[in-house]
Amino acid sequence: MTSGSQRGMAEVRRKLWCFLSRIKGVCHTPMICLKLPLSFLALSATLVNAAKIEFNRDVRPILSENCYACHGFDPKHREGDLRLDTFEGATQDRDGARGIVPGDLSKSDAWQRIISEDKDEVMPPPKSHKTPLTTKQREILKTWIEQGAKYERHWSFEPPKAQPGGSIDRFIQERLAEENLKPSPEADPATLVRRLFLDLTGLPPAPADLADLSGWSEKKYKALVERLLSSNHYGERWGRWWLDQARYADSNGYSIDAPRQIWKFRDWVIDALNADMPFDQFTIEQLAGDLLPKATETQKIATGFHRNTQINQEGGIDKEQFRIDSVFDRVATTGSVWLGLSIGCAQCHDHKFDPIEQKEYYRLFAFFNNQEEPELKVYDPKVDVKAINADFKDVQTKLKTMMQQRYAEVTKWESDMAKGFRDKLTEPVKKALAKPVEKRSLADNLELFAVFVPRNDPLYILKDRYAELDTQINKGTTTLVLKELPQPRKTTVFIKGDFTRPDVEVTPNTPKVLHAFQKPKTLPNRLDLAKWLVEPQNPLTARVIANRVWQQYFGRGIVETENDFGTQGTAPSHPELLDYLATEFIAKKWSLKELHRLIVTSKTYRQSSANRPDLIEKDPQNYLLARQTRLRLDAEVVRDVALTASGLLSPKLGGPPVYPPIPDGVMGQGQVKRVWSVSKGADKYRRGLYTFIYRASPPPSLTVFDAPEGFNSCTRRIRSNTPLQALTLMNDTGFFEFATGLEKIIQKDGLETAFKRCTARSPKPDELAVLKKLDSLNAARVLLNLDETVTRE
Amino acid sequence: MNDLLSQTRRHFFSRCGVGVGSLALGSLMARDAALAPKKTHFPAKAKNVIFLFMAGGPSQLETFEHKPLLTKLNGKPIPESYTKGKRFAFMDSSHRSDLLGPKIQFKQHGQSGTWVSDYLPHTAKIVDDISLITTCKTDLFNHAPAKLYMNSGSGLFGRPSMGAWVTYGLGSECDDLPGFVVLQSGPRGPRGGAVLWGSGVLPTTYQGVPLRNQGDPIVNLSTPKEISVAQQRQVVDAVRELNMKRLVETGDDEITTRINAYEMAYRMQTSAPELMDTAGESQTTLDMYGIKDAKETSFARNCLLARRLVERGVRFVQLYDTNWDHHGGPTENLEKHMPLKCQDIDQACAALVKDLKQRGLLDDTIVVWGGEFGRTPMGEVRESTGRNHHIDAFTMWFAGGGFKGGVTYGQTDEFGFGAVENPVHVHDIHATMLHQLGLDHERLTVRSQGLDFRLTGVDTAKVIKDILA
Repeated sequence: MTSGSQRGMAEVRRKLWCFLSRIKGVCHTPMICLKLPLSFLALSATLVNAAKIEFNRDVRPILSENCYACHGFDPKHREGDLRLDTFEGATQDRDGARGIVPGDLSKSDAWQRIISEDKDEVMPPPKSHKTPLTTKQREILKTWIEQGAKYERHWSFEPPKAQPGGSIDRFIQERLAEENLKPSPEADPATLVRRLFLDLTGLPPAPADLADLSGWSEKKYKALVERLLSSNHYGERWGRWWLDQARYADSNGYSIDAPRQIWKFRDWVIDALNADMPFDQFTIEQLAGDLLPKATETQKIATGFHRNTQINQEGGIDKEQFRIDSVFDRVATTGSVWLGLSIGCAQCHDHKFDPIEQKEYYRLFAFFNNQEEPELKVYDPKVDVKAINADFKDVQTKLKTMMQQRYAEVTKWESDMAKGFRDKLTEPVKKALAKPVEKRSLADNLELFAVFVPRNDPLYILKDRYAELDTQINKGTTTLVLKELPQPRKTTVFIKGDFTRPDVEVTPNTPKVLHAFQKPKTLPNRLDLAKWLVEPQNPLTARVIANRVWQQYFGRGIVETENDFGTQGTAPSHPELLDYLATEFIAKKWSLKELHRLIVTSKTYRQSSANRPDLIEKDPQNYLLARQTRLRLDAEVVRDVALTASGLLSPKLGGPPVYPPIPDGVMGQGQVKRVWSVSKGADKYRRGLYTFIYRASPPPSLTVFDAPEGFNSCTRRIRSNTPLQALTLMNDTGFFEFATGLEKIIQKDGLETAFKRCTARSPKPDELAVLKKLDSLNAARVLLNLDETVTRE
Repeated sequence: MNDLLSQTRRHFFSRCGVGVGSLALGSLMARDAALAPKKTHFPAKAKNVIFLFMAGGPSQLETFEHKPLLTKLNGKPIPESYTKGKRFAFMDSSHRSDLLGPKIQFKQHGQSGTWVSDYLPHTAKIVDDISLITTCKTDLFNHAPAKLYMNSGSGLFGRPSMGAWVTYGLGSECDDLPGFVVLQSGPRGPRGGAVLWGSGVLPTTYQGVPLRNQGDPIVNLSTPKEISVAQQRQVVDAVRELNMKRLVETGDDEITTRINAYEMAYRMQTSAPELMDTAGESQTTLDMYGIKDAKETSFARNCLLARRLVERGVRFVQLYDTNWDHHGGPTENLEKHMPLKCQDIDQACAALVKDLKQRGLLDDTIVVWGGEFGRTPMGEVRESTGRNHHIDAFTMWFAGGGFKGGVTYGQTDEFGFGAVENPVHVHDIHATMLHQLGLDHERLTVRSQGLDFRLTGVDTAKVIKDILA
């Protein structure tokens, strides 16, 4: 193939990558908007006092949404030589005309075009499909120009300001006071206990935890916070939060989707969080653990973070292309996870909205372009070698019998083979064929069958399982890691993101718009980048992480676009609060547990989540947090709650992924069918985060509740609410088994106890009456299906 | 139920001193708000889509592309001017690039005189109802990425599929079945798997739901065998009753959605098996589709189910039929297997179009036939005769939903290698289909990380007006 054809293909790839590309950050964005159509902007329009216009809060969102695509940072798409993203650009004299003349509307060209009634003149132009500016938006721009058109640097590129005397409750309540709203009272103790348990450990409280709430006090609450923060289940709960962002799953992805071993990375995350490893160190070890002096095994395991990219095992592909794709993914993931920026946009062109040049993108790319991608052999006492061996023997016997019974197929295939075809067979197949039938080993025969048996043949599926177990036995536990190459690869800009079109060479560096990068004497590497990301001067990392932690507790970040802190993102609803959390996070030595403590001990967090008539009117979507929010539990926690309530949960921490029962036929959904041998004993009842995830055919009971598949980094889960969820909770074999567990509890301890195990409260008489009409099994099913059971109130 | 719920609501809000009238939260008993029927961008010609997906990439040269010169030059090398600068999957020096003439005859059919091969005698009879595009063009030449591309306009995993986009754009008109349904036939699942009907950055509500042929038609559809129908109803009623009490306590509208979800789930438990039960269909109908055993999974039965789904208001139905990858391997060659594959689908495709037409459903329904790509005019050296993947020119057909009949659009060169006139990119196909559904492909977007995703990508896509009535 010629380079021309490569170019054609890569052009294609560019198109693929472009606008869609690398939006890895979002698994599902603020989809909730579909149900709750009022956006924060609309809210702020009613709440913001137009008299004091602030550029970042009021003006920038309008300009960014409507003007920057053609009058922004990217010179290639700039129209009429006018840029409106800087004061200089907007006020520059262009042949006598100026976009904006501070204080003078009549001479401000841009303003005149905005209010023009001529459809060839008006901005934004109708063909851009932007809706015309609203009266409110026009008013804001008008006032802003009249007041002198003051620009501010985008808020998130300025370092967070310390907030002496600040507190969560102060910022929330001050804002509420502006709207004449009052916070809600504290939720009742039982609700609070359940809320804390679910938020900090992902498990519901046991009846004993709810036994004595009569003398409820601040002291008791804080003691519970401490107890839960030091529980090992804390690491599981918040580990899953991090694994979403790390795009963790247990298979290679793409169409073949073979299983992989990288669960040691999952366990590393859980352990690190349980030990409250400071977030800066947590970052450094994951991005560059292998480059630390005298790197330990665990530090190497941590680099699995960026080995959670997919691996394409299709035939006929260009391996380099997919290696580069995984580097693109690493850059984009790093950008959205730590910086909250859609850096991936600059892969093909200068960023249209944020000040990131394409060349700068490739300077970041250069940090991630110098690795080998090996497997690390590790020892883990949690692996049950005996069980694997037993499984292996079983599969071996089945295979032998099956091949014996079907050997005629090999004979037929051999005799039917076209002339010349024999030469094209692989070496192992040729070797096997050369032997007489009776001398052929199991491995030989597997090679032969594999040539002509279709991939979905039971024999082939079993063969895959055989190979998987064989690897586990003979290679032991392995995990995927990064390893720096002794000699760095050359990195160039790729024209339009096309790997076959290298342009100028670049060396590793960070974007100019952010804090300075202290260049080492030698060529900078991943370790330097990791350190740069967690320097206290970095305006973004601490804010982005604090925001994402906040989002878990309130269902929405202070910055709603949790993976876009750039100019296209939404402005923070409480800017001082965000800065307060970020600066506290850094001041408390990047301790995540401190951050959790700060949030869960606030009054804001402890409010009741019940809706109020005044709020329905003034803040129906609860942006201002005059109450808590009811949140449907995360997929894994839906399972964990049912398991715990029914008394079946195995609390075992870590170890290889497990295979709880799944509906028939699910594993046939991927291109290649996989064996799903259901785990035995307690492993059937492990927490949801230990379930084996095939990216191409993930377990329905998790995906139906919006668990991500690990295709790309997920910084915020959507919370859908569908009939398929109802079918899962009512009919799924797993959940039915949980119901039988709960049935026994009803029979032994009564309905009230069972109710309490699900909801943490006692049923009211009318509720009890509803349940009493049913037999205990069906009452148990009802309890596991309650909205309240799958909701954090 | 309706009354009860609104009473509950009224109770909650009267207790709180707010009238129901002051709420703009939408109709309480509406189905899942995300699936409520939505307004189109402009008046729609069609309401539903049935996409007949021939997974593997059917050869256009054995079906619709009549190329006498290819037959004449069989065995001769293809002129280099055609192949220069092209890239093919699995093509290395051991693969010859000699032209391969089709072994099947072509004839002209219908008033339009459309060329169809003798492999498709039934399709030949409906040519005056369909628009053929012979110059379809895609960007990716491996199965899974190309299938994704045809479905989601992108080769990357995790993008919304067309069915998800359409359901997102139009909502659903069905109360007891999902808005986007997938049916499968053939010896294996399509390459790419479930991501082909995924919802990507859209909510999972819009994800395609595979109706399975064995076991439950929908995962977890049937009540556990230990539970009677009456008990299941009792459970659903009790869950509703307790959820309503909670709604009153909390005023959380999500509970309303969940109550509705349980009602729909319960209805689906009856409606999905009813849908799958074709006992009520006449023998004439079964014969027309060529269904030999109505209980047996087949493409023909899936075609009949597709009609039944559309009748029930399901928005987007996609049928996958696998093993169209005729390289010349042991199970997929052109001589033996291609004609069998054609037999599997030919009669049923034609029957579906005729059946929809006679029931007055064709005007509202776009029927699409095609695969992820086509095949090369050159043969391959494998065990037997076959062709490689080809992305520059392949054939798809469209019927109903405001598409013209009897049209052959686009012109390829004398070997069928590339378009010489009117190339039609996958994004153009998507734009055209959305257009017929009343959706502007540039306005059907979803905001994600500061960018607007759309099915047709960043480059300009065009609506193919010439094939629209």
